[in-house]
Order: sequence, then structure tokens, then C-alpha cells
Amino acid sequence: MNEMSSMTPEQLNAGGYSTPDGRPIGSPVMEMKNITLKFGGVTALSNISFNILEGEIRAIIGPNGAGKSSMLNVINGFYHPQEGEVWFQGSPRPSMPPYEIAEQGIARTFQNIALFKGMSTLQNVMTGRQLKMKKNMFWQMLRYGPAIQEEVEHRRKAEEVIDFLEIQHIRHAPVGSLPYGLQKRVELARALAMEPDLLLLDEPMAGMNVEEKEDMSRFILDVNEQYGTTIALIEHDMAVVMDIADRVVVLDYGRMLADGTPGEVQADQAVIDAYLGVSS
Amino acid sequence: MFYREAGQYKTSYAKDLQAFPIKQDKIGMFIWGILAVVVAVIGIPGLGYDFAMKAIIIPTLIFTITALGLNILVGFAGQISLGTGAFMGVGAYACLKLTTFFPDVNILIHFVLSGFVAAVIGMFFGLPSLRIKGFYLVVATLGAQFFLEWAFGRIPWLYNFADSGAIEVPTRTLFGVPITGASADVTWQYFIVLFFLAGMTWIASNLIRGRIGRSWMMIRDMDIAAELIGVRPLWTKLSAFAVSSFYCGVSGALMVFIWLGAAEVESFDINHSFLYLFMVIIGGLGSITGSFMGAAFIWIFPILLKEVGKSFGYNATLMENISLVAIGVMIVIILIKEPHGLARLWQISKQKLRLWPFPH
Repeated sequence: MNEMSSMTPEQLNAGGYSTPDGRPIGSPVMEMKNITLKFGGVTALSNISFNILEGEIRAIIGPNGAGKSSMLNVINGFYHPQEGEVWFQGSPRPSMPPYEIAEQGIARTFQNIALFKGMSTLQNVMTGRQLKMKKNMFWQMLRYGPAIQEEVEHRRKAEEVIDFLEIQHIRHAPVGSLPYGLQKRVELARALAMEPDLLLLDEPMAGMNVEEKEDMSRFILDVNEQYGTTIALIEHDMAVVMDIADRVVVLDYGRMLADGTPGEVQADQAVIDAYLGVSS
Repeated sequence: MFYREAGQYKTSYAKDLQAFPIKQDKIGMFIWGILAVVVAVIGIPGLGYDFAMKAIIIPTLIFTITALGLNILVGFAGQISLGTGAFMGVGAYACLKLTTFFPDVNILIHFVLSGFVAAVIGMFFGLPSLRIKGFYLVVATLGAQFFLEWAFGRIPWLYNFADSGAIEVPTRTLFGVPITGASADVTWQYFIVLFFLAGMTWIASNLIRGRIGRSWMMIRDMDIAAELIGVRPLWTKLSAFAVSSFYCGVSGALMVFIWLGAAEVESFDINHSFLYLFMVIIGGLGSITGSFMGAAFIWIFPILLKEVGKSFGYNATLMENISLVAIGVMIVIILIKEPHGLARLWQISKQKLRLWPFPH
């Protein structure tokens, strides 16, 4: 038994511990407080509360239609819950357009790849640097002096990410022509290029074979370790989640079934029932 | 064999970010530069100098500016406009008013200023793009086309209350040489248009390779993802409309003042808007080279066909109809064979040339 699972849920929720492999976990970055989200008569999420701590890998799991993606969209600011509050870095977050959420340091990838198909891998990664680039239209027009300096500086950052995710060989390839697994990786690269504080991954391993899943898991762990990025991810593959997540939230039919370390969640009777069915 | 970048290593990102990183392309651009000067001296061999300049070269260069502008909007920013002709009209009428009010200011400055007037108008008519996309946006820009056309014909102030109801271009000079009006010097006109085209091509290529160009392409390819990365749809779309209309405005002013010499509303009608859209689509959406190729193809091909026909003794009306049919057929063939336009064909042939003569 590791150190974490001997802690009470209250201790875990407060943060300030370190994981078995020694990464420090800080205070809450994001807190969901009694979130209820409805679409007309359908309740997608009901009364959900959990938090995401700085530096951890937080997984959201659940069967199909459990409300995982809706949850991510709430975190992302794409959906505005009817009830409850989203607290970001210690204060309630007002509803704001998506581009302002990006400015706050939240990046995400999509379940169905949302790359810019008309651009190359490099250009796609460069788009992640968009918010950090400030030179105005005048300099952009001349592409001289400050503008080209800025471009070079951010190209270097983009190349670092490309290096990190090992996609150098497809740098100039149009992303539309890449195989699925690589497209997923380019999308991660684009999100990483934003240097986010919080990275949301919507099924990063969906549709991948075992080898690709292993690669992706390694990259996610590396990102978390090297950049200290807080990660919240949705994933179907239980084995992967149990391996890489620090804490897991389990949703089912928009309700929260369990919240805790992978070990705890796996032992939870409600979770077992939801996943395996209740024996009569 | 000749077009091969082997051995040309880039040692800094700045070098890799150049417009023409490959040495052969630089040589190619240099040859184009020389050719541009040679054409100014001798015209096109086999055709009269004035005819070649007035009927072929100058209009092609002007339409290339239009195509560049429209390509920024349609090809790079993914918005669509059928108001191109009208926006060119805004440039032309703005230039007329400006040069009427400030006759002493150099006409070249007025060309640029009328571009800005068109940019403002274009931005205004681009506002619907924030709410609607695709075909619906086409209809909205069609509104711009009809409204502006109406304004050009019905507001006499715009054409200085001329009896003809048309723009009558006054004579303006540059360094003492008349460049607009009836007595204008054709070679000078050519160089002015070339100057504008070169400058605006340079600016367009800079813009699309930088932050702003990327934000246009982000909105074009996947607007939701673009927003989540921090692109503001409002400014991105409106800046695309503004830059695009600026290009159209300048080319409209050039078209009337340098090329036509006098223009009525018909020069800015919907047929012309379609023509410019064809140029962009045939040339290749999202490609600067494509704008050049599309404008040249749509403008020069029918003229050459007519000339060839004339030399075989067919009458001009017959050849005109044949060229209409031929250009229609060519458009269909190109769009079926290569939906990405002439620019893609050019790209493919460059790729092939890289390996030639050994294809593996």
C-alpha cells in the first residue's frame, strides 16, 4: 500500500501531499461546486463536486453517456451550468467566452480531432503560441525586426514541443494526411505549445492500438512531470486510467459515483456495479 | 536535376522562415524581376506595345491585386464574398472624391487612401460574418453588392455630378509625367501598377505567414478550436474583411484611374464579382501564387484565343463566343481534375521536378 491510499479523502482534497513517485501536489486549481447542467428536460450533470489539484493527473471516467464530456465542457467554459459554481484559482469564475478561458491558461484536446486541416504540423503547433504573440499588424505586415524576432522565438518554443512529442519527422506534413495516432499527438502538441496551467484531454487514447496507447500514456506522464502541468483527462480504458491517474472521479448518468485514488475507486461497490452491472 | 534543395542547410529559424528559403526559388524570382523590366521595354513580342500593355499586362496585374485580396478573405480566412466588384467600386469612387478635394496630393497616396475607405466599408459589410456562415454569408455580401451598386448609380455626388453619370478620370502627374487621363504614359502606368502589385504581394505573404495569417486560417479550418486557443472571432473575421477590402479598393482605384480612364456602375457589377471569384477558385484557394495564376488565366486566355482566331481569319464575334465556351469548359475540367486550382498543379510539378529525371 502506498502512502497516498492511506490518506483520508479530506486530506487528499486539500492537496499539499506528494504522489508515490515523489511529485508534489499543490492546492486546488479548479473546484466544481454542486454543478448541475441541464439541456432542456435532460439533466446531464447533477450536483457534482470535485476539485483538481495543482500538479496532479485527474481522471474522469464513466460509461457512455455518463456526462464526462459535458463535465469537461463545463470546466472549459463551453457550457454554463444552471446551478453551482466553478472556482478557478481560488475565486468563482464568471461565465466568459471561450477565448478568454484560453487566456487564463486552460488548454484542451478534443475527442474528435479538431486540428486545423489546411495547415502543416508545424503551423498547427505554432497556433498554440498565438496568445503569446503580441506584435501588431504593422510589424506583421513588414515581417521585419520585432515581428520576425518574435516569430523566431516562438518557433523555437514550438520546436521544443515538437521535439518533446517526437513528431519532428512530420513537421512539414499537412496534418490531414497523417495517421490517426499522430494526429492525436499533434493535437496534444498544439495544446502543450500554449504552455497551459491546466490541460484538459478528452479521450486522448480513443481508437488507438496498445502501442499507441503506451506512447500516449508516456507522453502524458512526461508532460506532467517535466512541465508540472496539471492534467484532467477523460478516458475509457480503465487499465490506462489506473496506471497514470493520481485521483479519479467516476460519473454515471450524470451523478457522481466515487472520487478517490485509483485503488479506492476500483474497490468501490457502486463503481463495480456501474461497470459490471449489478448481480441480481 | 536543377530544382533540388539538397545541400542547402538552414542554420537558424530566421533563415528557415524566409519567403523563398530555396536558392532556386530566389533565382526564379530574380528572373521574374528581369522579365518585368524587359516587358516594360519591348512589350510582348508579336503584339503591339500599347495593345499588349493596355489590354493584357496592366489589367492582369490589377486583377491580380483583386484576386490577392479576395483570396485572403475566401482562401485564407474561409469567409466568402460576392461583393468584390462593389468594394472595388468603393475604391474607385473614393479615389475620385479624394483627388477632387485634394488635387495637389499625389495620386499614389490617394490610391492607398481609397484602399482604406474600402476597408472601412468592407468591415461594415463583414459584420454579418460573425453570425452567419457559408451560403447565408454569400447572400449577405450580395446585399453589399446591390446596395453599393445602387449608391454608385443614384448618388450624383459620388461621380461629381457628371452628365454621363460615370467617373471621368482627371489627368494627374507623377514627377511631371501624366499617369492618369487620356495623355498618360503607358510605361509609367505599368510600373506604377507593378509597384503596387509587388508591394501588396509582399505584404500579403508576410501577413499570412505570421500570427494574423495563422489566426485567419484557424478560423477557416476549425472555428471552435480556434476560439478555445484564444482567437477572437470578431477581430479575426473583421480584419480579414478589412485587409481584403483594402486590396479590392486599391485595385478598383487603379483599375479606373490607370486602366479604364472612365467607368460607369457596370464596371463594378455582380458579373465582375463572379469573375474575381473564378480567378481565386481557378488559381487556387489559399495560395498567393494561385492568385497570380488565376487572374492571368481568366484574363489572358480569352484574349489570346481571340488573337489566335483572328490570325486564322475567323471573325471576332465568333471567337468571342468560342472563348466564352472554352473558358467555361476549362473551368469545369480544372475543377474536376484539380479542385485546389492551378497553384496545386504548380506545386505538384515542383515536387516532381525535385526528383526529375530520376523519379525515385
